[in-house]
Amino acid sequence: MTSEWMRLDAKVIWVDLAKMVLSLIPMALTTWLFGDGIDGSVFWPALSVAVIGVVGAVTDLLRWLKTRYRITDERVECRTGLFVRSNKSIRRDRIRSVDTSARLRHRLAGLRVVVVRAGERGAMGDTGVKLDAVSAAAAARLQAELPTGRVAVPDSPAPSGETVLATLRWQWLFYNVFTVWALAMAAGLLWGGYWLGNSVGLDLASFVANLADWGALGLAWTITIGVLAAWTVGAVGLGANFFAENWNFRLTWTTGPNGTVLRTTKGLFRIRQVDRDEARLRGIRLAQPLPWRWIGLTDTTVISTGLSWSASTVVPRGPIGDALRVAAAVLRDDRLLNVPLTAHPRAALRRRIGWAVLVTLGLTAVLTLLPDRWWLVGVAALPVFVWFAALAYRALGHALVGAHLVIRGGLNRTLVVLRRDAVIGWTFRQSVLQRRLGLLTVRATTAAGSGGYTAPDLAAADAVALADRVVPGLLTRYLPDQRRGEMPGLQPTVGSNRPH
Amino acid sequence: MTEGPLLPPQHRVERRAIGWWALRTVATTAVAAGVLLVAYLIFEWSWLVPVLIVVAAFGVAHLVVTPWWRYAVHRWEVTEDAVYVCTGWFVREWRIAPISRVQTVDTVRGPIQQALGLATVTVTTASAHGPVALVGLDHQAATEIARDLAAVTQATPGDAT
Repeated sequence: MTSEWMRLDAKVIWVDLAKMVLSLIPMALTTWLFGDGIDGSVFWPALSVAVIGVVGAVTDLLRWLKTRYRITDERVECRTGLFVRSNKSIRRDRIRSVDTSARLRHRLAGLRVVVVRAGERGAMGDTGVKLDAVSAAAAARLQAELPTGRVAVPDSPAPSGETVLATLRWQWLFYNVFTVWALAMAAGLLWGGYWLGNSVGLDLASFVANLADWGALGLAWTITIGVLAAWTVGAVGLGANFFAENWNFRLTWTTGPNGTVLRTTKGLFRIRQVDRDEARLRGIRLAQPLPWRWIGLTDTTVISTGLSWSASTVVPRGPIGDALRVAAAVLRDDRLLNVPLTAHPRAALRRRIGWAVLVTLGLTAVLTLLPDRWWLVGVAALPVFVWFAALAYRALGHALVGAHLVIRGGLNRTLVVLRRDAVIGWTFRQSVLQRRLGLLTVRATTAAGSGGYTAPDLAAADAVALADRVVPGLLTRYLPDQRRGEMPGLQPTVGSNRPH
Repeated sequence: MTEGPLLPPQHRVERRAIGWWALRTVATTAVAAGVLLVAYLIFEWSWLVPVLIVVAAFGVAHLVVTPWWRYAVHRWEVTEDAVYVCTGWFVREWRIAPISRVQTVDTVRGPIQQALGLATVTVTTASAHGPVALVGLDHQAATEIARDLAAVTQATPGDAT
């Protein structure tokens, strides 16, 4: 690639000018419609739209003037800023992802926003180098040429071209609409509607008040109907948002000149393409949130170094069947997700029931502050908490399958499949009570994903043995004596002058 | 110390660390109790008295129990292969990281540690889940350990992820 300093695409200027003109329209319209007798409630919003639009467009023009970028054989560099000069550079072998996205205005002008990220946490922040915007052709070229860092994984079969793992399914809509976020969405939509109605002289509040005789229905029914109506409004909003975001969703293994990437393309107005370097993938995580377990809702994320949370979500929320199919395709191994996991000792169930009792006691204690017999609600909640404890216990499991560590646990029944060679250390935890129950919690630390994945409450000896098998050699010299006798090949290390 | 699931690391921490943990508890309790006391003297809210007593009692109990308990538990070891520490009191925690995965090595000395001639060596890996910290070391020993570790780390190729 060229090593000269380049400007962003000149079409950015046209986009900015168009933005400026568009933001002035409401102002012109109100002046034309109302003339001198302008109403404050119409004038001020129009004026603020105009001011925000013009200031934004001018700032963007200045940014375009002062921004230069270049791609050399070693680095991606970007200089920008009018008053505060910033000079960002990323070494090409540290690049972990190259994302392109385009809002509607970019797509109309044939532009793409490219974000190049390095993996080092904190060092670069989460921002990376952002080129806003270059031509679609330049973006495609960057995406093809940039993720060059490493040689591709040697042991992957690397099919040429493109393998489609998943495309958008209509059923997913159902899983993305029925969440508590629907209520938040409804609050936003209703408030916006009320405000907009007000500015054109429509009083939504009194309209709703006149819909039914709320007083006759009583408080309970009013609340029920209100929540259901709000939920419906929110669900419609979430549904529209889901389609706008995931239109034309495709997840593929794409093999380019620089190895294989796991590529997502999606979006109706704003299209987004995310490439995840296969060489940086370390595993996968499937979570089934408790409130939606009964419909099999599953969140699927990959465990990779240098990816933001949104980039690590490979498929939208969906049914467990789809999630398992995609996960198997990403891992290139469907065995991993079907292995029977080793259950954890019964003592782990006792520990969880203990927590359930503690939570019940706490809840009851708080409820005694209320008048009447509200505290009975706390007592009645005990079976629910015990049921949660049993669920959490049944979720516990672990296995070692070939090159992968598989652990599952938590109320969200989170299944983690992690490559053994991605484990960069261990943390074991044991409270005094756990020690009495013979339990030990083990966490594999890793550079990828959230940084550590926990398997709670294994039998103490099993936890240590598991860790020793995942990373051979690291723990061997710290295994208790009696284990050394049993296991051939695990002789005490010469020169480890430890007291016995 | 009772038998754990793993053999404990080889070295105990300095005895002075007991003093460090004790002083830390004293300082925290003094600040918390002091704020409550001043608030009580200014506003004269009577319910602050039991809160103050509970805070003070908790501080004293913590002071009596934890420094010695920690001293019994805390151990560390650095070999050519790994950094290995055992910490905690009610909850014991063993952390081990292979030398080949170490990214940075720092020494930290707070004001109390300086007064007691102690230091902490913080060994970070590429994981976001916190470093392996060797606490309660003699400050000169800490400097040497940090220097040796840094030298070994420099010699290891790759980006340690």
